[in-house]
Amino acid sequence: MRRNLLVYGTAVLAALLVGAALAAGGGADPATAATALWDGMFGSSYAFGSALNAAAVLGLIATGFTVAHRAGLVNVGGEGQLAVGGIAATAVGVNLPDATPAPVALAALLLAGFAGGAAWAGIAAWLRVARGVNEVITTLLLNFVGTFLVVLVVHEEGLLRQPVTSADTLPQSAPLAEPARLPLLGLPESPATLAIVLAAVGVVVAALVLRRTATGARLSSVGMSEPASARLGLPVGRLQGGSLAVAGGMSGVAGATLVATVPYVLAEHFTSGYGFTGLVVGLLARGSLTAVAGTSLAFGLLASGGINLQLAAGVPASSVQVVQSVLIICVAGAVIFRKGATR
Amino acid sequence: MSALAELVDGGVRLAIPLLVASAGELVSERAGVLNMSVEGMMLTGAFAGAIGAHTTGSASAGLVCALVAGVLFAVLQAVLSVTLRADQIVTGVAANALALGATTYGSRLYFTEGRTIPGFDPIALPVLSDIPILGPALFELTAVGYLCVAVAVVLAVLFGGRTGFGLAVTAIGADAETADRSGLPVNAVRFCAVLLAGLTSALAGAHLVLADVHAFTDNISAGAGYLAVAAVIAGRWKAWPTLLACVFFGLAQALQFAAPAFGVHLPTAVLVMSPYLLALVAVSGLVGASRSPAGLTLPFVREARA
Amino acid sequence: MEPALELTGVGKTFGKARALDAVDLTVRAGEVHCVLGENGAGKSTLCNLVFGSAALDEGEMRLFGEPYRPRRPAEALALGVAMVHQHFSLVPTLTVAENLLLAERVRLRMPDLTGRVAAIEAEYGLRVDLTATVADLPVGERQSVEIVKCLLRDPRLVLLDEPTAVLGPAEVEALLATCRRIADAGRAVVLVTHKLGEIERAGDAATVLRGGRVAGSGPLADFTKDELVELMVGRHLADLDPLLVAGLDAESGDAAHAPASGGDEAAPVVRVRGLRVRGPHGADVLDGVDLDVRPGEIVGIAGVEGNGQSELVAVLSGALIPDGGVFELDGTDLTRAAPATRTAAGLGVIPEDRHHEGCVPGMTVAENLFLGRLGEFRRFGLLDRKAMRLRAAKVIEEHGIRATGPDAPLRTLSGGNQQKVVVARELALDPLRCLIAAQPTRGLDIGAVDAVLSRVRDAAAGGAAVLVVSSELPELLTLCDRVMVAYRGRLLGPVTPGLPGARDAIGRLMLGASA
Repeated sequence: MRRNLLVYGTAVLAALLVGAALAAGGGADPATAATALWDGMFGSSYAFGSALNAAAVLGLIATGFTVAHRAGLVNVGGEGQLAVGGIAATAVGVNLPDATPAPVALAALLLAGFAGGAAWAGIAAWLRVARGVNEVITTLLLNFVGTFLVVLVVHEEGLLRQPVTSADTLPQSAPLAEPARLPLLGLPESPATLAIVLAAVGVVVAALVLRRTATGARLSSVGMSEPASARLGLPVGRLQGGSLAVAGGMSGVAGATLVATVPYVLAEHFTSGYGFTGLVVGLLARGSLTAVAGTSLAFGLLASGGINLQLAAGVPASSVQVVQSVLIICVAGAVIFRKGATR
Repeated sequence: MSALAELVDGGVRLAIPLLVASAGELVSERAGVLNMSVEGMMLTGAFAGAIGAHTTGSASAGLVCALVAGVLFAVLQAVLSVTLRADQIVTGVAANALALGATTYGSRLYFTEGRTIPGFDPIALPVLSDIPILGPALFELTAVGYLCVAVAVVLAVLFGGRTGFGLAVTAIGADAETADRSGLPVNAVRFCAVLLAGLTSALAGAHLVLADVHAFTDNISAGAGYLAVAAVIAGRWKAWPTLLACVFFGLAQALQFAAPAFGVHLPTAVLVMSPYLLALVAVSGLVGASRSPAGLTLPFVREARA
Repeated sequence: MEPALELTGVGKTFGKARALDAVDLTVRAGEVHCVLGENGAGKSTLCNLVFGSAALDEGEMRLFGEPYRPRRPAEALALGVAMVHQHFSLVPTLTVAENLLLAERVRLRMPDLTGRVAAIEAEYGLRVDLTATVADLPVGERQSVEIVKCLLRDPRLVLLDEPTAVLGPAEVEALLATCRRIADAGRAVVLVTHKLGEIERAGDAATVLRGGRVAGSGPLADFTKDELVELMVGRHLADLDPLLVAGLDAESGDAAHAPASGGDEAAPVVRVRGLRVRGPHGADVLDGVDLDVRPGEIVGIAGVEGNGQSELVAVLSGALIPDGGVFELDGTDLTRAAPATRTAAGLGVIPEDRHHEGCVPGMTVAENLFLGRLGEFRRFGLLDRKAMRLRAAKVIEEHGIRATGPDAPLRTLSGGNQQKVVVARELALDPLRCLIAAQPTRGLDIGAVDAVLSRVRDAAAGGAAVLVVSSELPELLTLCDRVMVAYRGRLLGPVTPGLPGARDAIGRLMLGASA
């Protein structure tokens, strides 16, 4: 345990040092950079609210990652599943009549997001279960395809592009119908939406299933030993395929919350790297959903702070990405030092 | 230029970086190390090449910078994958993010005015370049282009056939423990194989900036590194099929420019995603049975069993 | 003359386990020195230290008088130490020639290789096919390749780690003769084994290891066989179950047979007809297997490894779907049934590879016991861990499993106790109509062997049809009512163990000759 703390402590320290160096390299003195970062996290209830919204998206993706990881699968396809979930949710959201009751509209929107993401991950799940193709490479390639699918649907009028009225019409979808928009939580001046509640419920339910149900135990068993699980009569393929589809579904829900938040449209790059960051959160949490919740929050804050870092201190936002990757590299690289790690 | 010539020309131009990067990655994977970080190595090479060329005004100096940076980056990956026995997929994906973040950050700081850099000019080989369609595509490459092709072919011959090197690498990838017991230096070979993958990926990156566009843009590799990895899988870890897969992916990428000339009017996004779709179909084994090196992604440690 | 290999006070610790402690060993050139000991006594660790696969923690080694401390196999090889590994050090996907070239660090050219191999073949009476792919070769031929690979380097010291474990009697004979020849050529040979019957024929001196320490050492002529057995197990022979002694001693199996209670009249529980499995290279690995097992009967399957036994178990347990034939349990066709269906029909399986297939080492004892039937522990939709723990604690006590409790991760248990968990899980089936045990005692120490085998007997006594696949012939001879012999995908026999000459009959069948 102490050695684990040491590893994480060293990783965070290394990441902080790299972050400070990048801020300095970007021309901001440490105090300015730190202030900008802090303001971007907690400086206003607007900043904190957006950080929470980002954390919700990350939490949903990382929870899905953890569920699939329990069954021994590594889902690096969060970005693509997010994209397709967003597309599906938009398709439903723009076509709902304005008179739809909000609960029905929201349920339809989220279900569509789940179905879209699950179907996208389902391709990789099917390839893995039926043909034994490694899910890492397939989910990764599906990211590219999913991302370009968004480009496709927002550029084609026959698909989801808003009606083109002039040369200035942006390549994006029409706004979602009023009832399909995620309601704000009603905190003063805060953009925090229902997505946060959704993510919290997702984490708790997933934790309950993984820890306290037979399904959770079965997923663990499949993740630790496929052959032994098969011998014991567990439906290995169904458990693995199902868990990957659920992972995709949760990313898809995250995509749905993204399009159902201001400005309520589907546009190119709406996924803005959340898929990757969600993967980072999942990897760092190492199977613990408590850690997923905590890390999502930290990374949501970091993302929000990073934006302000660029706006207020002129430090390129990409430095946040560098810091994140340094963090994973340190934690992953320290595997042989960590206690209890399998050799 | 005819539509076909344009397609072939563009296909070759886009296939060359894939070709050389996947040749190095093939060697590494045959030795048992999967580098998801080909993408990051490529990007690092491209960035260092651009900086080198921009600073010195010499494309050759840029090329040297690219190779050095690529190998340094590969040292990081090799230490993680081989020495520290970290998860190769996780660290590879993280290394890509590191490269993307760092080069994006670096280019903000460095290329404050203008991103155009000196590059290599095409050298037309006499007679050969006069062959219709194939001639201009294959025999009017730049120096770095010829270098890429040469390196890819040499690696394919050296490691693809049953040469001594190839045999040692294959044995290490198939069964590290047995290779060790036969007296082969397992981890040293794997380490060098990762460095080789870094070198070839950086060469590919240098080709992007110095031979192709003569400028650095953010995320210029744009997934080409993943395509190189996919090509190795699609090529079933065999040299010539891997190179063939690269050519296919290159042609698929070229379609987005050449399609209109064929009178094909598909949305650009469809054409842009087509190489990835193609790669997905190829790695899914819809074209035949797959047999990966048995020790792929498995780190080797002596005394693993008590 | 100075000894070829001399170990003084050698110690080695893995984690918390003391694998070797203050071991002294002296091996002379020109002699075959046998290292004896039970599973887990430290024999393999000793080999690995000498070959450089593991580093010693304390003590020192000398090779022909020089201080010797190899850090890796390459160094050992360079100094003329070669090893024949129990599971071979051959890359299965490469050809024999390629594997041999590897041994020469790729400097050797093909024509030289052919000449050298021919010389070794002539000198030691071995035969290898250079163009064959290793994966296609039967175990016996792989063993020859492994030995040729070892001799190619012209070693001064040859280590053989349990080389006979996977061979048939005739191949064992040939191997022991080869050992003798290697030693007669002036090399030193260390032969590691746990089978006493073999060493008399080949050995000059012996060192017995028990629990990582030297229990006894000296010229072989100084010991009787009974003395060696007692040194190995640390108990007087009279206190031991004859069955266990049989497992150690390759000679005295016939006498110990105790017939079980199978009646010939009862209808068979297991009915297998014409089972066929095509191998990866086209040849049939199972070629028309017929088999009946009646209630209460224990049927053994002997045979040199790689003759289809593993595939037969895989087909019966549901891990492999056959290309033809039928498997029925109590008249129900299970040929293509999922493992869960087989379990429900009363088929218990103790798999061959415990760590891979038998259990999930990362999960707790309780979870391992009940993974297949978690549905029985549901409460308000959640898993009732408390009930699981209670039930597990009972099983742990009944089966004498040594664990800190139901929540102990299985990997913290010793191999024998892990196997007891697997056995307990499979015997808990209700009803248990048939038990298939594949290499049930492999790698276990003597106490665990005893426990596992008596459970297998109990299962038969309780009316289950029992099928035991084992490469330990003495074990089969004492346990079974009938023994079949797997040979090239077919089952030959049966041989009745109680009859005189049963052992020889099985030995002949293992070579494909008629009984």
